[in-house]
Amino acid sequence: MALLEAKGVKAYYYVRQGQVKAVDDLDLAIERGITLGLAGESGCGKSTLVNTLMMNVKPPLHLVEGTIVLDGKVISNMDRSTLQKNIWGVLVSLVPQSALNALMPTMNIEGFVKDVIRHHMSVPDSQIISMTKKRFEELNLPVEALSMYPHELSGGMKQRAVIAISTLLNPKLLIVDEPTSALDVCCQKQVLRMLIDLRKTGITQSIVFVTHDIAVLKQIADWITIMYAGKIVESAPTDDLLNDSKHPYTFSLINAVVTPEPEVRKRGLTSIPGEPPNLLDPPKGCRFHPRCPKVMDVCRSVEPTLVKIEGNRIVSCHLFPSES
Amino acid sequence: MSHRGKSLKKKLLSLYGNPFIRFVSRRVGFLIITFVIFLLIIFALPRFIPGNPLATLLYAIREMPPETLQLKQKQLIEQFGLGKPLEVQFYEFIARLFRGDLGTSYSYPGIKVVTMVFTALPWSLGLLIPASLLSWIIGNLLGALAAYKRKTLIDNALLPAFLTLTETPYYWLAMVLLYIFAVTLKIFPTSDAHNFLYFPSLRLTFILDVLWHWTLPFLSILMGAIGGWAIGMRSMVIYELGADYVSYADSLGLPDRKVLLYVFKNSMLPQITGLALNLGTILGGALITEIVFNYPGTGFLIFRALTQLDYPMIQGAFILLILTLLIANFIVDLVYAYVDPRIRTGYIGE
Amino acid sequence: MVPPILKELFKTKKLDISLGIFIGMVIISIFGSALYPNPLAVAGPSYRPPSNAFPLGTDDRGRSLLALLITGIKNSLYIGVTAALISLAIGVTIGVISGFKGGVTDSSLMLITDLILVMPAILIMMLIAAYLKERNPLFVSLVIGITAWPWVARAVRSQIMSLKSREFMYMSKMAGLRDMRIIIEDLLPNMASYIFMAFVLLMSGAMIAEAGLSMIGLGVTKGVTLGSVLYWAQQNDAVRRGLWWWFGPPGICLIALAASLLLISTALDEYFSPRLKGG
Repeated sequence: MALLEAKGVKAYYYVRQGQVKAVDDLDLAIERGITLGLAGESGCGKSTLVNTLMMNVKPPLHLVEGTIVLDGKVISNMDRSTLQKNIWGVLVSLVPQSALNALMPTMNIEGFVKDVIRHHMSVPDSQIISMTKKRFEELNLPVEALSMYPHELSGGMKQRAVIAISTLLNPKLLIVDEPTSALDVCCQKQVLRMLIDLRKTGITQSIVFVTHDIAVLKQIADWITIMYAGKIVESAPTDDLLNDSKHPYTFSLINAVVTPEPEVRKRGLTSIPGEPPNLLDPPKGCRFHPRCPKVMDVCRSVEPTLVKIEGNRIVSCHLFPSES
Repeated sequence: MSHRGKSLKKKLLSLYGNPFIRFVSRRVGFLIITFVIFLLIIFALPRFIPGNPLATLLYAIREMPPETLQLKQKQLIEQFGLGKPLEVQFYEFIARLFRGDLGTSYSYPGIKVVTMVFTALPWSLGLLIPASLLSWIIGNLLGALAAYKRKTLIDNALLPAFLTLTETPYYWLAMVLLYIFAVTLKIFPTSDAHNFLYFPSLRLTFILDVLWHWTLPFLSILMGAIGGWAIGMRSMVIYELGADYVSYADSLGLPDRKVLLYVFKNSMLPQITGLALNLGTILGGALITEIVFNYPGTGFLIFRALTQLDYPMIQGAFILLILTLLIANFIVDLVYAYVDPRIRTGYIGE
Repeated sequence: MVPPILKELFKTKKLDISLGIFIGMVIISIFGSALYPNPLAVAGPSYRPPSNAFPLGTDDRGRSLLALLITGIKNSLYIGVTAALISLAIGVTIGVISGFKGGVTDSSLMLITDLILVMPAILIMMLIAAYLKERNPLFVSLVIGITAWPWVARAVRSQIMSLKSREFMYMSKMAGLRDMRIIIEDLLPNMASYIFMAFVLLMSGAMIAEAGLSMIGLGVTKGVTLGSVLYWAQQNDAVRRGLWWWFGPPGICLIALAASLLLISTALDEYFSPRLKGG
């Protein structure tokens, strides 16, 4: 059974001007033991999706419809305090997009760790500290960092510390939202290394890596899912997706990436014309149709459905019509 | 340089590298400059304001009987060093200051200004210190509460109440409290710091009497000052509630009251700075409040001195008040430097 | 055509009520002054509580408190506006220069600002006013105005500094426009809302400050303000004699004026700072 199964999820922001359909009728399954890359342009709904997947939904965001099952438990109808006590931090953890600011300036790392663990388990402080120290060593983090305040740590260190804190209770699912976007290359490498170690040592089962930078997914993801305007457009194993993408959007996205390979020079870079749609009032039919190089008439009026093609790959495009 | 000289220099430099020491020394320097500028203002005002008040005073008293005239003239000339060149006047002014000599009062001849001010100061401090601290604490708590309960009835009722309260002058609150509780209901006394028939001592009856007289003035300042803190804290907390560390802690499952505690801790920091900045305002309001109660603090002292044109008293009282205020500022700055880990961790070093 | 911003603002109840109170009082004071041109004239017997003839009673000299109050509101408003304008002028100028120029100019200007910020305004005002024999409303406004500007300077400076790094600023600089022109055309319009809010706050504070000065006897030497009425009340021991109509209404009017201005400023602030609204 998949670690997380989401069906028919609709998560909208209720704002003055109407409803922003950030996640619209989405199905997603995250298997156990994989690192899933979730990619797409800024504003396509990735962050909203992952927050919704762990039911971290606060007004003006509302879960309008859908069920989410995590490790066999239906979390989409749990109340906030159950989620706080049993799910968040324990089964699933989210490392937010602004991890560099995620730590409170007036408390040191130790203090925060104590608070987090104490809430979920009743364990004496000394044990908490020794547990944390051991974990830090395992993950190649300096133990001295524990007694420091956030402003004393470098950016890369902070990011890794936050990831370490998020996984202290061994959550089966770890979601990291743009962990490398604000870092320079050598720190990026350390973060990726840490994520790989987390899977290798079995601390977490699956990782969802949200980013707009496809290049980094090549190094860490087993499976990549592409999102556009609140919908999933394609999902496939990494190599398959990067070398043989089916959806026009995926194709354009990959071709817009600069990689240190000689073909890029020959091929040249192509950017995708136009802008992502306004989710208050998305376009009819396929949401990508205004910018699609392979647009057909049917695309303008009918929304494509997710279709399974070779070996568990999924595509949502009229180029691959469903057999019905 | 000798070996000892070099190591001393190194020690001083390393001390200066410490953020805590740097912060403190910068503040001390600033406060000293403020005090000096203030002294300059005090010195310059009576001598340079159009209409030269001292000359006016001399002119006004020319009609007086000869003995009083001579005495007054002598006082003025001696006190202000009139007739001597400005630099000498200023030098004498500063020299006297350092000796602790602030002159003698005009209205109470023979009595030193320092004596009268130091007698009055404890009464003012007795009102100010508890009132400032308590209003700060209570105001911040109420403000945090209002912020937490935003968009509910509690906040919608509290906010206008705070806004109105903060614009209510302490002395008017004093008048109202005095009218209701002392004049009409006769629960509290109507004036003074203690019953004049009681001789000041540490006996319980005297202390209780003092507290009984102290209550209404204290409450006036307390209630008047709460509003400002509440409003500030409310904005701070609302702002902090949208901070990244709040959503992160929340997503790790930490309960709401824990997250609120974090927000409170972070919001308190700027409020400590705010306390330092507002000490002057609270002081001013408290001084005027004393007048309403005939409370024998520095405010009442200054008021009387202003009415009677007792210039040495006016000058002396102001200098000592400012000094007290700057010292209080410094203490609050020290507390802030200790509480803010970004400054305190200078000790641990990197 | 009502500009959309006004339409949006008027949806807030807080703003409606406070604006209503404030404007109401202004109108009363203007028209009332016409009805009671000579408030300092003796109108009747002394120390009378409110009655049909004298809706707010009389003071120690038999003057109608209602008349005094109405004129008092007018004069307090006058001082409030004047002092606020003075503070605004000083604060905005220093803030703009400091924020725009930066460097040594900035440091020295801010040092001066901080010095005045630390000194308690009331004490400074008392000192200056104590040595002035004749204090007309303009003088009093001046005294209040020159002590109240530091926070405005600081706030304006931060706004300017954050605006300075925005793109349209680079464009103007590259186009070679002179500094003064950049300030007037680019920066000030973006700060208009903030300057207006600062004005409202300053006015509120100035009226309270005037009352405070009057209470110690250092207010206007001739004329009536809300502060002077309170001062006479205090001098005549009105509280202990139970003459509530003497000290009550002036205080209430003062608070109403200051608080309504503050509410207006808060409502404007919430409108212009979305984070405070909690979106």
